[in-house]
Amino acid sequence: MGYRDVAKIGIGGPVGSGKTALVRRLVPELVDEGYEVGVIANDIMTQEDADVFRESFGDLLPADLVEGVETGACPHTGIREDPSMNLAAIDEFTERHPDLDVVIVESGGDNLAATFNPELADYFLFVISVAEGEDIPRKRGPGVTQADLLVVNKTDLAPYVDADLEVIESDAADVRGDDPFVFTNCKDGTGVDEVLEHVDREVLFA
Amino acid sequence: MTIDSDSFLTALRLSDSFLPVGGYTASYGLEQYVNEGRIGDGDDLRALLAGYLRRVVGPCETVALANAHDASSSDDLDQLLEVDARLHAVTMPSEFRESSTKAGAKLCELLAGTEEDLASVDVRTGLRQKFATRIDAGETPGHYPVVFGVVAQSRGLPRLEACLSHAYSFVTGLLGAAQRLGRFGHTEIQRVLGDLESVVVEICDRHVDDDATAMASFAPLAEIMGMRHERAGRRLFMS
Repeated sequence: MGYRDVAKIGIGGPVGSGKTALVRRLVPELVDEGYEVGVIANDIMTQEDADVFRESFGDLLPADLVEGVETGACPHTGIREDPSMNLAAIDEFTERHPDLDVVIVESGGDNLAATFNPELADYFLFVISVAEGEDIPRKRGPGVTQADLLVVNKTDLAPYVDADLEVIESDAADVRGDDPFVFTNCKDGTGVDEVLEHVDREVLFA
Repeated sequence: MTIDSDSFLTALRLSDSFLPVGGYTASYGLEQYVNEGRIGDGDDLRALLAGYLRRVVGPCETVALANAHDASSSDDLDQLLEVDARLHAVTMPSEFRESSTKAGAKLCELLAGTEEDLASVDVRTGLRQKFATRIDAGETPGHYPVVFGVVAQSRGLPRLEACLSHAYSFVTGLLGAAQRLGRFGHTEIQRVLGDLESVVVEICDRHVDDDATAMASFAPLAEIMGMRHERAGRRLFMS
């Protein structure tokens, strides 16, 4: 068993866009569907942070299936040019849990140019927040255009930051062509089911 | 010194930060020196890295690499395993061991997946493959300098040049880490690198012919920094 034997989902996106919130929403659903799940968070800063992250999954995941990988202040390198330390962490998961089904790799905060190495992630979600500005999709960052699924999060904040969801929707459709995108509010769970449907269909049943 | 073009390119490839073996995640205690305010400027950095070279990289990693290179050329698996075990024993901080063994395993794996061109009977059944199998089985730690020595030898890079490549990449790796951790100008970093080149040459010349039994490091402060890093309040690096 090794990293090639499990499904790997990459979750990237800018700092504060809601990557961790999405992970926390997805994990219980995947566990509920009967999958054994591992989670890797890049750029965990202290052991205390790692412990808090582990505790946030309560009894859902064994503590040794939640890992932090420090990427030496190079978050993009860790998921793109040189994913070796993330792959090493996945290898350790599979050694300890040979029945592992899926690993979620959450990147450190990215800029819009970040993409996942296809050898690290079979499926790549890029999470942006409406609070970062309604013009984010039309900047055509590689993360936004190349992700398998674009997640536009924090839709509840749109009225407070003068972001027009119709503009974001139109721009996202324009820059992504036929590739999907989903609006979410990970705080109350809106849209998470739709994300899960994509993940189920494109990764786990693929 | 004469070196053929293929070997020269191997040296460049192995010492390039582009090599995807996770080098950018390792600071070998440097982050803790910064955390504790022990490095203020380029002079501090130069002195520290010269110490690493003279006390760790030279008498420890270079000796391991050179002896792994010898073991590879004489197809002596027992000697290779002995070198690996000895390097493990003299590398005190657990995070140093972890960074080194993870990078070693990844270098093995990387080459296994990319060297179809070299997939002759020699490589498939040879010492490198046997060593990789032992690493996979958890029977030997697979330290980076040891794997580096075997890879260099199997690709025709002479022993001294392999040691120089490794020591140089160690220095550039830590200088890169320093730049991300502190505030050092790119010109200043290049000046420090230039100053350290003579130390790289010095320590490789001094240790390239050492017997494996001479392998030892003496860098108590660096080792303490490496150990304190495990519980550091700020961690950007794995070591």
